[in-house]
Amino acid sequence: MSEFSMWFEQTFKQCYCEKGNLVDQERFSELVQLVLDDEADEESRALFEEKIRTCVQSNGKFLEEKGLRECIQTKLTQFKQDIPGDLAQSIKNSINL
Amino acid sequence: MSEIEEEAVRQNYSEQEKTSIFDTEFMIHVDSMYNFAYRLTFDEDDAKDLVQDTYLKAFRFINSFERGTNAKAWLFRILKNSFINEFRKKSKQPAKVDYNEVESYYNSDDAGENITTDLRVETVQHMIGDEITGALNALPVDFRTVIILSDLEGFTYEEMSKILDIPIGTVRSRLHRARNMLREKLVSYAKEMGYNN
Repeated sequence: MSEFSMWFEQTFKQCYCEKGNLVDQERFSELVQLVLDDEADEESRALFEEKIRTCVQSNGKFLEEKGLRECIQTKLTQFKQDIPGDLAQSIKNSINL
Repeated sequence: MSEIEEEAVRQNYSEQEKTSIFDTEFMIHVDSMYNFAYRLTFDEDDAKDLVQDTYLKAFRFINSFERGTNAKAWLFRILKNSFINEFRKKSKQPAKVDYNEVESYYNSDDAGENITTDLRVETVQHMIGDEITGALNALPVDFRTVIILSDLEGFTYEEMSKILDIPIGTVRSRLHRARNMLREKLVSYAKEMGYNN
C-alpha cells in the first residue's frame, strides 16, 4: 500500500457519477498524473486501467493527458543550457583535487 | 549547514575515499546540477557560482553522505537550500510573485475554476523547445522547481519530498498545480502567436 492508496480510491470515486460516467475531469487528471508519474500502487493502477478499458471518455482524457505530457517533456528536455567547459575543472581546483 | 547533516549517519572517510566519492559519485551530476542552477537563477555566472558553492559544501560535509546512496538527490538538496538561503536574494532574475500568495491562491477551493487545461498536443507540437522553456521560466520558482525535478530530472515524489523538505502529498498537489499553470501559460502563448488551439 503506497502513500496515495487511500487518496487515489477516494478521488477515483469522486470522479464518477452513480452511473459510472466521468463527471470531474479535473480530479481525474490528478489520478492520471499519479499513474503517469509511476506513483500509483498496483491496486490503484489496476482500478484505473480497468476503468479506461471500459470508459471511452476516461480513455480519451487519459490519452490526451499522456500525449500532452510527453510532448511538453520532450521539448523541455531538448532545450538545455550549454555547460561551461571549465566548470568541472574549476570545481576541482577550488577544493584542491 | 545543519540541513545537510541532520538525520545523517556520520561517516569517517579517509582523504583518498573522499576524493574517490567526489569524483565517482558527485562529479557525474555536474551537468544536471548546472542545468538546475541555471533554471533557478537565469544567469550563467550565478548558475556557475551556485554549482561551485554546492560542490564546495558537498565536499566539506562529505562525511554526512553515505557512500552508494542517492548522491544526486543529496546534491540537489544542497543546491536548492543554497539558492534559497543565499542566491535568491542577490539573483539577477526579475521580482517574482510571492510564493505564499500564489500557493494560498491555488490551494483555495475555487482555484480549479480558473485553471485552463484546454491545450492540445497539436498546439504544443507547433512550439519549439525554448518557447516552452520560456513558459516554464515564467512560473513562480517553487512551481517551476517541481516540474524541473520531476519531468526533467526524473526524481520520484519521495526524492522530491526530501530535496524540497515538504510532505509527499504536497509534492503531488504542487506538481499538479504547476503543470496546470504551465499549460495555462502555453494556452496564452499559443493564442498570442496565433497557433491553432
